[in-house]
Amino acid sequence: MNRDRLSLWAILGLFALSPLLLLTTESIYATRILSLIVIFATLATAMNLVFGHSNQLFFFVGALSGTSSYLCAIALLNYGISPWLTLVPASLLTGAIGMIVSYASARRKFGVVAISIITLTIQLAFRDVLIGAREITGGSTGLAFRGLSLGFLQDALGVDQFFVLYCLLLVLLFAVVGTYRWILSSRYGIALDAIRQDEEVAEYIGIDVLRYKSHVGFAAAFMIGLVGPFYAQLSGFVVPSMYSLASVDIIILVILFVGGLRTTLGPLVGAVGIVYANQTLSSLGQWRSVVFGALLIFLFLYFRRGVVPAARNAVEQRLLSDDRGTSPAD
Amino acid sequence: MALVVDGLSTGFLMALLGLSITLVFGLGGVLNLSLGNFAVIAATATAVLLGLSGSLLVAVLGGLLVSCLLGLVVDRSLLSLVYRSSGEQRTLVGIFTMLGLSIVLDGVMYVYYPSQYSIPLDVPSLTVADVTFRGSSLVIIAVSLLLIALLHTFFERTYLGGATQTIMQDETGALVCGISPRRMRTLVFIVSIAIAAIAGILFAASASVSPSSSFRLTIQALIVSIAGGVTSIAGTIFAGLLLGIVSTVAASTIGSSWSSVVLFGVVLGVIFVRPGEIV
Repeated sequence: MNRDRLSLWAILGLFALSPLLLLTTESIYATRILSLIVIFATLATAMNLVFGHSNQLFFFVGALSGTSSYLCAIALLNYGISPWLTLVPASLLTGAIGMIVSYASARRKFGVVAISIITLTIQLAFRDVLIGAREITGGSTGLAFRGLSLGFLQDALGVDQFFVLYCLLLVLLFAVVGTYRWILSSRYGIALDAIRQDEEVAEYIGIDVLRYKSHVGFAAAFMIGLVGPFYAQLSGFVVPSMYSLASVDIIILVILFVGGLRTTLGPLVGAVGIVYANQTLSSLGQWRSVVFGALLIFLFLYFRRGVVPAARNAVEQRLLSDDRGTSPAD
Repeated sequence: MALVVDGLSTGFLMALLGLSITLVFGLGGVLNLSLGNFAVIAATATAVLLGLSGSLLVAVLGGLLVSCLLGLVVDRSLLSLVYRSSGEQRTLVGIFTMLGLSIVLDGVMYVYYPSQYSIPLDVPSLTVADVTFRGSSLVIIAVSLLLIALLHTFFERTYLGGATQTIMQDETGALVCGISPRRMRTLVFIVSIAIAAIAGILFAASASVSPSSSFRLTIQALIVSIAGGVTSIAGTIFAGLLLGIVSTVAASTIGSSWSSVVLFGVVLGVIFVRPGEIV
């Protein structure tokens, strides 16, 4: 347990120190890659909570983060309202969407198949709404996005807006990871474990399955909603393809399976590897999605437990064999 | 009246797609998330072969053959791995494997056949008492009815069909009776791919098909299947017809992208309020 905590603090420490690295290199490309890593690590942590710990397969992470991003963009362009004001209300709305889906599914005792179909349908409906309301959303050309910057901080520190954005993203990541740890170490964690193992038994011993599942659905969808507008700020615009199944949900799932489902470090470690790989492979064009699809199949069939649990196992094995080697009894 | 016929033809297409999902899920617990890709591949292959050979029959048979062979390869390779796990675990492995396959097939199609394809049928419109029916709609309805009748005969009259139904009801019981679930699953998977392929080809007869159509076709198949109860064949056909009419009427009144939003709304409503079990 102590070793786990140590590696968690070490990785979080590396993330926390990364801005210093950026200050020394001053590379916009590196800032962008690191920002993407942090964005996807945050989204994957939220997915880890809702899918890993409560078996609710949300296939609409793209649509949820897109909803809050578009709402912020539309409020700014049409009414001149700063995204700083609309960020939290928009995320509360996506949280509510997540909660409604979770609540209704738990009430009807839907399994993973029904939830995945429902959320996939919402993902496609989101795209159709964007195209249908093209006077407001800009259709497939999208809208410009700006305003989630802190001008005074840039001036005070003498840094560019992307560096400030990266620091903001790190704060968001730490907040989400902290909330994730807090939820799991509270009675929610115990209840979720019980529900995941056997929902009926959990209900029988007096766990309010409906409440726990819908609260987790809200928390995850709220976190996902918060990340969306920062992703848009990094790109400078919002377009439907940014929030599609292939460009958000698939990447997050691959990150989770590479890193390790139901571990705190998994999404962080997975995001570093996968976002970097995604950028490196961008010259491949459409072949990149072929690679990611194949990776998803391979990972789920052969390497479901992920890097973090595998590394933990390897370390434990070594320690065990060391013990055995020095023990006189052997 | 013409609108109802168009709606019925869309409905039959949706019913066929939903049926492919229902068959495979009912028999093996695998949700075929790459169904739309198979439909698009069949339609594209048919359109390309039509351009090469000039014969519609050759092209359609070729399109069916291409998609069914691909289905056989997938069944022997990926699905064999999926069937090694069981219960809820298998469902989850199935979802991710077929989703991954769908992304792979999508990518390959975008690289090699990125354009729009359609299959002209050259069936003249039919005018009865001042109402004109689109030729393609009539062909779609006729072919679908024939296919559903064939499937009905297969399930009710043949030994293989009976064996399939036995596995759907009780896998262990079927094993005891000497039925091999794995072989039946291969057969039913190929049958379901053939149905999806025919639906794809028929779809391309009334609209154009491109790699980007596949996700939409898959979702339509899924919602029809889930609205019909996921494991009920009759329910799936009924849901397909109903949703087809709803979406066609909505499309003609409020435009196509809003009509799908209405359709999704109706489906979500149906899923949440309908009585009975849904997995």
